Amino acid sequence: MDSKERLEILKEILLTEEREFDKDLVLKIEKLKSRQDNLSDRVTPILDERMDDFVENMPKALGPVITETLKTEIKKSQEAVAEALYPVMGKMIKKYVQAEIKKLNEDINKRLNKTFSFRNWFSGKDNNIDAAALMYEQYKARIEQIMIIEKGSGLLKANYAKRPTLDEDMLAGMLTAIKSFVEDAYNQGEMELERIDYELFTIHLQNFSNYYIAVVITGIYDDDYKDKLEDVLLDFAQFVVNKSDLENPETFTKKLKSYFTDERI
Amino acid sequence: MSVSKKVVLLGHFGVGKSSLLRRFVENTFSESYTVTIGVHIMKKEVHLEKESVTLVIWDVEGTDDFTKYRPSYLMGASSFIYVFDASRPVTYSDIKYNLEHLKEKFPHVSVHIIGNKVDLVDSEVILNDLKAQDIQHSYLSSAKTGENVELLFQNVAAQLLENA
Ligand SMILES: Nc1nc2c(ncn2[C@@H]2O[C@H](COP(=O)(O)OP(=O)(O)O)[C@@H](O)[C@H]2O)c(=O)[nH]1
Ligand SMILES: [Mg+2]
Repeated sequence: MDSKERLEILKEILLTEEREFDKDLVLKIEKLKSRQDNLSDRVTPILDERMDDFVENMPKALGPVITETLKTEIKKSQEAVAEALYPVMGKMIKKYVQAEIKKLNEDINKRLNKTFSFRNWFSGKDNNIDAAALMYEQYKARIEQIMIIEKGSGLLKANYAKRPTLDEDMLAGMLTAIKSFVEDAYNQGEMELERIDYELFTIHLQNFSNYYIAVVITGIYDDDYKDKLEDVLLDFAQFVVNKSDLENPETFTKKLKSYFTDERI
Repeated sequence: MSVSKKVVLLGHFGVGKSSLLRRFVENTFSESYTVTIGVHIMKKEVHLEKESVTLVIWDVEGTDDFTKYRPSYLMGASSFIYVFDASRPVTYSDIKYNLEHLKEKFPHVSVHIIGNKVDLVDSEVILNDLKAQDIQHSYLSSAKTGENVELLFQNVAAQLLENA
């Protein structure tokens, strides 16, 4: 079986077994396209192009990663292959879609060169909740966790998580190790790591002199969001944090919680 | 929420740093050797008479030359635990050299010297050898039998609180 055939099978798996996940999205986009007629004169070509790209490039992008798995699994039934790949695929596709929507959003913004954004677009016209608004809601950036971590020691000084996470002390230490590893590797004096992408999460790192703030985010983290987030974090550091807070994790954590519980961003 | 301190395990490859940590945190031991790549972090809260302290322990990749340690992995540590293998003299013959480096770079961080794998040797013999070389160890331990493992970490914790 050559690689082309394998890709065909992959395509089939992706476009049949994965439909479960995708169906919704595609439906929403279809619906969106048919509804937003006047706007769609401008937008549809871009959207079409993107969707075509998406369908065309997906096997290409994912191909190498799964060729190995396919080699051993391919002899079994297609169903078994799909099952083996499903968890990996689900995440990759979700991430891919997310990345594509982000690009699309930025692309549209650029072309219309205005304050045009998905948010405006979706909420324009009638204010009924439609498929598009739901889609926006689905992929909107959300803060999952905020950690304030002492530089050097990597000790956690304050933590606010929406749900319980794996051990946050170890997470803080590992983040610090990764951060210093990368910074050492580039060894460019002032360079500091600002962001880590991990599976479906983006970890935004805001550096201060004795500590840094790590914000774990799901959804679309674009420049617009990054800007806003930075402002909020800088304000927090400037107006809320005192020197003594680092010595007292308990009160620091309380401060952090009360500052961010009202969905400030 | 007790106070947290960073502690770093140092020493040659294969002396039992990861095994000591696993024995201390999970109370398990394995004969198989998994090389630590980069750094692995575990933590445990130690309860002393009056206070508790959470040790956040960095198990960094082993090396025989301490000047090769990534400085950022050692930064911010409150204690170092220097582990050697009591059954392999090469792992403690260079202690003086490595200690000097630590003293120079981290003058305020205390160092605890631990001779591990004591189950493999005659403790009389090793004690004499250490004495002859003027090595001031704090404990001889075994990750395999558990001997002195709890005690050595308790000792580290107690000393951290004393200095706090
Ligand atoms: N007999 C004995 N073997 C040990 C002891 N501690 C570790 N080992 C073994 O020594 C090898 C290296 O241990 P490891 O903890 O990975 O060393 P590290 O490289 O310093 O982290 C493993 O095969 C362990 O099973 C011990 O106290 N006694
Ligand atoms: Mg190890």
